[in-house]
Parts: sequence; structure tokens; C-alpha cells
Amino acid sequence: MKWGRGRFARGAGYILVASVVCSGVFSVGAQAQTPAAEDARTIEFGKEIFKTKARCQYCHKWDGTGDQGYGGNALSLRKTQLTPDQLAMTVKCGRPATEMPFHDKFAYTDRRCYGMTREQAGGSMPPEPNQYLQAGEINAVVAYVFAKVVGRGDPDYDECVDFWGKDTRQCEPLKK
Amino acid sequence: MSKHRSGGVIAAALWATSAMVPALAADMTFERALNADKEPQNWLLHHKNFQGHRYSTLNEINAASVGKLHLTQVLALGGLESGGRYANGNLEATPIVDDGMMYVPNGWGEVYAIDLTSGRKADIKWKMDPGIDRAWAGDVACCGVNNRGVALWKDKVISISLDGRMFAINRATGEVVWERKIADPALGETITAAPLILRDLAITGSAGGEFGIRGWIDATDLNTGKQVWRTYTIPGKGEPGNETWKDGKDHWMHGGGSVWVTATYDSSADTFYQGIGNAGPDYDPEYRPGDNKWAASVLALSPADGKIKWGFQYTPNDPYDFDEISEHPIIDVAVNGSQRKLVTHAARNGFYYSLDAVNGSFVGGRQYVDRLTWSKGLDPKTGKPLEYDPTLDVQPYVVNSHPTRANPKGALKCPVTSGGKNWEPAAYNPDLNLMYVPSAEGCNMLEGKPQPDFVDQGGTAKPRDRFTAGSANYPADEPLYGSLSALDPVTGEIKSKVKLQWPNWSGVLATAGGLVFTGHMDGEITAYDSKTLKEAWSFNVGCGIMAPPITYAINGKQYLAVLAGPHWLRPKPAALKDQGACSMLNVFTL
Ligand code: HEC
Repeated sequence: MKWGRGRFARGAGYILVASVVCSGVFSVGAQAQTPAAEDARTIEFGKEIFKTKARCQYCHKWDGTGDQGYGGNALSLRKTQLTPDQLAMTVKCGRPATEMPFHDKFAYTDRRCYGMTREQAGGSMPPEPNQYLQAGEINAVVAYVFAKVVGRGDPDYDECVDFWGKDTRQCEPLKK
Repeated sequence: MSKHRSGGVIAAALWATSAMVPALAADMTFERALNADKEPQNWLLHHKNFQGHRYSTLNEINAASVGKLHLTQVLALGGLESGGRYANGNLEATPIVDDGMMYVPNGWGEVYAIDLTSGRKADIKWKMDPGIDRAWAGDVACCGVNNRGVALWKDKVISISLDGRMFAINRATGEVVWERKIADPALGETITAAPLILRDLAITGSAGGEFGIRGWIDATDLNTGKQVWRTYTIPGKGEPGNETWKDGKDHWMHGGGSVWVTATYDSSADTFYQGIGNAGPDYDPEYRPGDNKWAASVLALSPADGKIKWGFQYTPNDPYDFDEISEHPIIDVAVNGSQRKLVTHAARNGFYYSLDAVNGSFVGGRQYVDRLTWSKGLDPKTGKPLEYDPTLDVQPYVVNSHPTRANPKGALKCPVTSGGKNWEPAAYNPDLNLMYVPSAEGCNMLEGKPQPDFVDQGGTAKPRDRFTAGSANYPADEPLYGSLSALDPVTGEIKSKVKLQWPNWSGVLATAGGLVFTGHMDGEITAYDSKTLKEAWSFNVGCGIMAPPITYAINGKQYLAVLAGPHWLRPKPAALKDQGACSMLNVFTL
């Protein structure tokens, strides 16, 4: 992948992506537009975070339809009503009293998350994430979720191949 | 390798004349397997002996010498690739060691033959890569990318892979002689248990209790690579036990009852004892009124034909995911003055049990975890939970300890969903007559969701979908921890117990050196005094251990080996967060 992780560690890269998300370019309607190359890279980067680094798919399923079992009753991201900002906040801070983890390493060290510290959250403290994410990574995963998941109906074969690739039987059950 | 192989014939001859001569790599026979304890220098069977004791008579490493134990060989075993829901594979295997050669798989079923004889470099002789479709298999593995071990048969290594295949591998070269597709990931079936080899049969079973499977135990003829029999753990129409599925909609067809840990075997009765997993769906017992045999049970079976001799169900109508797949050590002990053969089990539900090996009747048992809130205890006659009411279709047990459709949020209940003791194996020291039980300790809450029917029964639940009817939640302010207990193996009375910082996922090795060993999620491997469980030695390999330690000897020198390669189903605790993934074999000696 050309878009290395280091890119986000640099201030300029981060501000660029953050502003894209915050200005709402990746809104529900974003899928209708053809994203520019830069945006496409951000989305692809966000997909890898969704798939492997943050393992969102372990709990929400690869298609974001939501799931159950070992990751709590994870809601459908296809049907979410959240705005990009709210979604980013949910990823950063998790959801208190649920299995939705926080991903900002410094969440709950001060009042950046719902005005609460770890002590105040107490027994409702959301779980630790698989891996912490930097702000740029959170923006990328939000960009991915809005580009490929939010507002979509049932997943189809093409979406599945887009996620998993062609070198697996993973999408066979969706073949018409 | 040629040296290794040609030694076989000579070794077999030597073996016949004197048990004192260290065996060279003879072919693996049923005779050797039955007498595995007579080859203390080798670790020939998954649980060390057929009885499941994981006890070694080697004693060079003992209470006096253990302080000198140090790392001597390390080797990276790979298999860290992602697949399906998992970011990397991990290591849960018990290695097999015969004549200084180790045979061990990583989570993706890549089998390694490793020459350990130099005592220094761990020298890979061959690696067999089964070529798994990782996304396809990994997406229906409930609990990580796992493979718990291989077995030896004649001049072959017998292995399995997560995508449901069995392989017969030329032990000298690593070439696959045949493979058989046994489980089908298209149905949510996977295989993770090391095969149990009895005579010329390889016995294994299907995992997938969270994906709407109907579990089974299956035997392969190793001479032909073909199936000999398959016994479903959930009885079909007309079979005894099917009447315990009272929904009237054939929900038994997706009733769970998975099999993912190697059974124990009693040669005198020619019977093997297989632990059986949870009922499906996990958290909606109203979907499956009745006791739901043989989920959450042990079955005694005949190896020749797979016929069920008896069964004992631990948690009827199990609403907790108390999956009782783990091993059932067989012990010969005096009970009230008479010698008896017992089948024992430290259950995921938090109780320890001893059962009569001949008929499965309850002999003794009690709680071994610190906190157990779903039941007030076991009925001393039947061994059933005191609250169990055979006239009820849905068992409430302690009210609100699990979700119901009327009240989908269960209260805090203990032990936690994963147990108690999960798959990580116990060990039994026959000289001290103590059972060492590794465990998680803590509590959690279950949240139910009514389960939709399967597509083949008119509903919307698809094969490969999670079929759990809800989820487990965890209190943030009561972190899980672990324990190691030494129990009276008949009554379950706790003789000594030590609290561990992390839930135990490693399992136990007991030795005649007066020690028991276990690994920890922070990378410690620790030796405890076998009577007091006082720590005798500990070392940190720098990476979490969730595989069982073993011991063996080469040229009279004793070694301790353990794999490190952890995974966390739930997010990692903050204290271990920054430790990277790994996949390492670690070998220690004095
Ligand atoms: C360990 C399991 C787990 C992981 C990993 C996880 N989630 Fe969640 N998520 C949940 C659960 C459970 C909920 C439901 C919380 C609730 O009940 O409000 C949730 C809720 C959400 C919501 C709120 C949806 C809404 O409409 O309110 C969003 C958005 C979300 N997750 C996104 C993500 C993203 C993006 C990732 C990866 C960066 C991720 N989650 C990783 C379990 C998880």
C-alpha cells in the first residue's frame, strides 16, 4: 500500500483527512460520487483498519450489518443514523456500558469523551480496543464506513469481493 | 532424515528387549501408545497418556534444581497471517516429541518437524503447509485461528486444518500421502482438536457451536483415508435423546454440541470419553425447550463403531454457553475402600465432577471456582444442578442468571462465559493423587436476542452466520483473573489454590520432580510446588502463552517446551496492549 501509516503521523496529512470528514464530504450520499484518488486511498486505508487493525469486522461483521456472539450485540453500521462526526466520536470513545471499545489511547484520561474520566465511567467504562488508533486512522475508518457501508441495503457479491478479494470462497454464498 | 528413519527398525527391536534403552524413532504403534508412560523421554500422545494425565515421570528438573532452568532453544513458527475475522493466527498446540523430533502445528495448520537433538538450534526438518483459504475458514472460527496438535501413526504424522481437512504426512519427508475433507466450513464446521488415534482409526470432531452446526464425532480409517463412522452428538429422529428437543420444529438439526478437544481413552473397557460443547443457539434456551442432549455433556463411546455407551449431561438446557468440550482424565482410585475407575472433568460451568467410568453415574464433585452464582450446588445423588427440574422445559437455574425472552438482560453471573476451565488441559499426579485445574475466574452478563430460524427451516439465519441469540457482556470494574487449584480428584475438594493475575489459557503439566508448570498471558512460564502450589521458578518469554507446556528428554537430559502465541477474543487488557503478536517455540533445560 502506497499510503503508509507514517503519512498520518505527519500533521499535514492528518489535518487534510480530518477536514474532509468533518466537512461532511463523506456523508451518506458520498457513495454516489466518484472519490478522487486521494479519497480512494483514504478509504482503502480505512478498510484495512476496519478489517484487521481495529477488527471492527470481528464484532460488526465484514459487511457492517451488525452481529452478536463474542463482541456484544454490535449494531448495524449500514442502518446507523449517526453523522460522520458522531461516528468518529463513537470510534474514539466507544460506548459506555457496551462492548463497543474506545480507540483513542487517551480517551477518558481527561474529559474529551462524554465529559467523563475513567474514574467517572467506572463500571461503564468501554473496553480497550484491539489496537489504539491515531486521529488520522479514525478519520480513515470513518471515511471507509461512510463510503462502503452506511446507508446500503443487503450486501451483494460485488461488495463481498471488494472486501475479501477473489482468492477465497468467502463470497460464494452470495453468488446468485 | 535418513538416519532418523533407518533407526526405526533397530529401535523397535531394542524396545522389545529393554525398556531402559532410549527408543529411537520407531514407528508409532497402538502398543506404544497404550504404554506411552513407559517412554518418559517422549511425549507421544496429545494428553501424554490415553488417560489424559499430562504427567511426566521425568524428575531431573525438580524442586531443588528448577532454579537453574533456562531458555536453550527458540524458534519462530509463523502462521501469523490474518484470515476471516482474525488479525493473526495463534498457538494452542501440545507438541508431540518422539526421539528428539518434535511435531507441532501453528494455528493455520502448518505442521513442523523439528530436530531438537543438538540441544541448541531447533532445526526445522520440514514444514507442511496445507494451503488454507484463510478468510473462508477464519470467518467461521468462533474463537481464534487454532490447531491443538497432531498425532503419530506408523510412519506418518496425522494433522488437521481449520478448514476441516485431515492429512496423513510422511514423517520422514513431510509429503502429504492423502488428505480427507471431513468438516465443511460452508456449514460453519471447522476442526481444531488434535486427532485421537486408536488402532488404525483417527477420531476427531467438528467445532462450530456458535454457527448453527449439528455436532459430530468422526472416525477415519488411516489405511485408506476414508470415513468409518460418524456419530452425531445431537441425536436424530428416533434416536434416544432426540425427545429432549421439545420445540417441535426440529431445532435439534442446528443444536450445536461441537467437539474440539481430544478425548481420553480407557483401554480396559475399550471406551473413549468425549466432552461435548454447548447447545445452539447459545443464549436463547426458549428456542430449544428440553434438556438438549447431548450438548454440555460427556459421552462414552466405542471406538470400533462410534456407538454411545452412556452420556452424562452437566448443564441441561444450557443457557450459558457452558461448552464441556475439555478433556476427561481417567483415574484409578480407592473410593470408600474399593478400587474404582473414574472419569473426571473440571467443567466450564465451575463445578468439578467425578463419574463412574462404566456407567457414568455421579460419584463426587463440587465448585472449584471462586464464585459460582448460576446454581446453588450439585445434587449429591444425581450430580445435576440443585435447581434442575426435569418436569420443566426451560431451566431457570438461579433466577436472572441468564437472559429470558421476557427479560433479555441477565444479571452478573459467575463463572464467566468462557469458564471456569475451558479447553486448557488439567494434569493429574497419580503419586500425590491430585488433579491440577487451571481456570479463569470472574463474572459477566449475558444479553439475549430471540433466535430466528435457519433458512432450511423457513427462517432467515444463514449457514456461517453466528447463531448465538445474543451476546456476552463484561463489567469494566471487575477484571477477570485466573487460578490454579490442586483438587482431590474424587470429591473435588480444594487442597491448595493459587490466584493468577490473568485468566489461564495454557493448561498444566505435572511432573515427578514435584512440580507443576503453566504459562500465562503476559508471557510468564511458572513452576509451582506440586503440593503447596508455591511458586518455585518463573521466566518471561516476552509474549503471551496459551498453549500447554510439555516435557521430554534427549540423551538423558530433561527439557521443558511451550509455545507462545496468544490471541484475545475480547480486546486485550491495557497492561498487555503493546505486546506484539508472536509465534514462538520455547525450550528450557537445566
Ligand atoms: C469488541 C466488539 C466491537 C468492535 C471491535 C467494534 N465495535 Fe462498534 N459496536 C460494538 C457494539 C456491541 C456496539 C453497540 C453499542 C450499543 O449498544 O449502543 C457498537 C456500536 C458501534 C457504533 C454505533 C452505531 C449506532 O448506530 O449507534 C458504531 C458507529 C460502531 N460501533 C463502529 C465501529 C467501528 C468503526 C469499529 C472499528 C474501528 C468498531 N465499531 C469496533 C462492538 C464493537
